[in-house]
Amino acid sequence: MLYTINKSPLMFGNLKSVLRIAPEGEPVLLYEDGVYAAAAGAASEELARQTLARHPVYALQADLEARGLTSPIEGIRAVGYDGFVELVEQHHVVPWL
Amino acid sequence: MGNTVTVLMRKAPYGSVYTAEGFRSMMGIGVFEMDISVLFVDDGVYALVKGQNPEALDMKPLGDGFPMLPEFGVTKFYVHDRSLSERGLTPDNLVMDVEIVDDAGAARIMEASGIVLPF
Repeated sequence: MLYTINKSPLMFGNLKSVLRIAPEGEPVLLYEDGVYAAAAGAASEELARQTLARHPVYALQADLEARGLTSPIEGIRAVGYDGFVELVEQHHVVPWL
Repeated sequence: MGNTVTVLMRKAPYGSVYTAEGFRSMMGIGVFEMDISVLFVDDGVYALVKGQNPEALDMKPLGDGFPMLPEFGVTKFYVHDRSLSERGLTPDNLVMDVEIVDDAGAARIMEASGIVLPF
């Protein structure tokens, strides 16, 4: 299952609850305000590292660029819309709105 | 409470219309020569971050507009210090010079206003 997150980690508990529920190894995709979880040096960095320790983590490139997040936390894989579509084709999607 | 307006910005840009609508309100309030303060708290501080490039989203860079607001009479910009540091940011990361305020300072700005407009 692909868990998709579009909410900011410092304003909402979405990433935290995905981390509780998603079985280890299931991919997590950050998009829209969800990509703020990729911000290095933020108070959410530890949460991002815990996520990376258990899951492949992807972030939508267009959303990173829009928000000026030019150097996401190491290990988070930036993907384009084509990569997004590929992930959705390969997995059932759990939209964690 | 004085006869001033505080525009309170708490949302990140692009994920919703709040930042763009807040900006529009600031321009309007400024043009009518009302006393206006703009306060950025929580994810609102992301609106001022340098290097925004939403071209791939087919949107306008929202950060670029704020440094032009003084031309419309909007000159008082405040950023909550803890909101900034929690996001790994410093004033150097922002598109313009702002006054950094602590918790009590943020509260005082709102208390001094007759109206708080939230975005």
